[in-house]
Amino acid sequence: MQHIALLAFDKKKCEPFFNRLTDLFYEHHHSDSQNPDEYERLLYMVKRPYDDRMLDMIDDWTGLGKREWKEETTREVKLALYAIKYPDTLLIDSFTEKARNNLTRLSSYLHFTHHTYAIWDEDTRKGLSKLGIDIPHTEVADPFIYGAYVSAIELLKDVAPFTCFLEHDVPRQRLFQAALASYGREN
Amino acid sequence: MADTEIVEKYTPNFEAWVQDFTEWQTRIGFDPSWLGDYRFDIKFDWDTAGEKIEFGDFEGMPKWERRMQIPQQNIRDAIISMISVQGDTEFASVEQQNHLLATAPTEYDMKSALRIMCEEQRHGWQMAYVLCTYFGEQGVREASKLLERNAQDGTRILGSFNAPIDHWLDFFCFTHFIDRDGKYQLKMLSTSSFKPLAASMGPMLKEESFHLGTGANGLRRIVKQGVIPCELLQKYLNKWISTGLDLFGTDDSTSAQWAYVYGVKGRYDERESDIKADRAHLNEASRELYFQELREEMRRISSVRKEGEPELFIPSDKFNRGIGMYSGKNYTITGEKFDGNNQEYQDYLISVLPTDEDEDKLMNDYMKKEWIQYREWKTK
Repeated sequence: MQHIALLAFDKKKCEPFFNRLTDLFYEHHHSDSQNPDEYERLLYMVKRPYDDRMLDMIDDWTGLGKREWKEETTREVKLALYAIKYPDTLLIDSFTEKARNNLTRLSSYLHFTHHTYAIWDEDTRKGLSKLGIDIPHTEVADPFIYGAYVSAIELLKDVAPFTCFLEHDVPRQRLFQAALASYGREN
Repeated sequence: MADTEIVEKYTPNFEAWVQDFTEWQTRIGFDPSWLGDYRFDIKFDWDTAGEKIEFGDFEGMPKWERRMQIPQQNIRDAIISMISVQGDTEFASVEQQNHLLATAPTEYDMKSALRIMCEEQRHGWQMAYVLCTYFGEQGVREASKLLERNAQDGTRILGSFNAPIDHWLDFFCFTHFIDRDGKYQLKMLSTSSFKPLAASMGPMLKEESFHLGTGANGLRRIVKQGVIPCELLQKYLNKWISTGLDLFGTDDSTSAQWAYVYGVKGRYDERESDIKADRAHLNEASRELYFQELREEMRRISSVRKEGEPELFIPSDKFNRGIGMYSGKNYTITGEKFDGNNQEYQDYLISVLPTDEDEDKLMNDYMKKEWIQYREWKTK
């Protein structure tokens, strides 16, 4: 059903967003709250084999505070980070409740370990909604909702004109997700 | 809004060319198995190509979609020439770079370079497809020549594409400076009066941004690591930038002017600019934009250097030029007229461009260490 909804989206509606994408990206990604230098450092620092320290660094960057998970939960998530293949999100369904209770945290782990998964963000969700792509609100990691979110950003990447694509060291999913967050915040 | 068409069926002319392409890959030592599941799709973005001719003497008329709609043979020749030059650079860069895969500093760099080579080959395919499909026998002949000329033999059309790329520092300079020139050329053709050419550019430009990013980030990672001294890096910048500036062609170019009159090739900022084009100085205008962009990029790259290292900079556009009004003239890297005779100038060049000794030190000393910031290849 989600697949059909994405096919039916109005491409014309995206034009104003695409026309301003670079500026919107800078507005969000280079804001103090996003700490772009630390973001860039994480792109390099988070690498295999994943350890708790790397997840701590991601926790710091997101500003969510350190996860309060049992050791088994952390191990379960780290194993999943190795196993998951973009754009699959169904693996999330097998997580215990504790691991699933914060989608922003989980998607940030996925983003920094794979660079392809987009960080879940409420403003980004609102930005998608303004483009006619309605993704339900959630805080917990629902594999179907997050899957739709990931697919929607992937779709926008595909249909965007070449003028949207930066040459710099930011994965394209981050470029679009950050620009959507700025767009979603605008009245 | 981009809506990319991927061509599924090829014309017989192009199918025959594909056979030659396979032989070319073998000849230059590019193993087709390296491509994995990558496909050389032919992609057109017809929406962004525009319906009406956007500038020049045919402005406002419908864009030409077939050869016979092009009103004059000399315009057809100009279009064929533009496509041939573009295609020539795509295959040349693969010839120049594919040997580097064996010495990549990290898996990330090896796979990035491989992606670049795949996409450059796709761009070459695209240009060959346009030649074979839209320009009959003349196009087929020109498409064949794309695979006959060779960078190693020095027979590629543009000088930079015959220059050897001996190591990964050259590779990052090439992708940062020379591919950036490529971006300018592609964007200038994206408003072309010949619609299949204009429609080819959108998908190519999307892919090109990754190539430029690889160059810019590669240089940034080298500077950040701080193993190769900035003084030595500066010599490589001096070497590559003058070559990049030369790629924009001669000053007061009449061929650029005619291409503009025909609507075949616009300015870099054709759609964004409110200013009327200065038709007599089109190459200079594009080159100046490129030069400004290089300076901005270099500030970004240089900002991550280690404490005590000198700032990296873009040398003057008068330095070491092979084309244009400063060609053959003796200028310093900061743009002053050189005060001395030709012999003294040759000695000066040795001090600001990489020497054999520098190359040896680079490859056999610095590059034996961890000379570039590590980056992990992220599997999907």
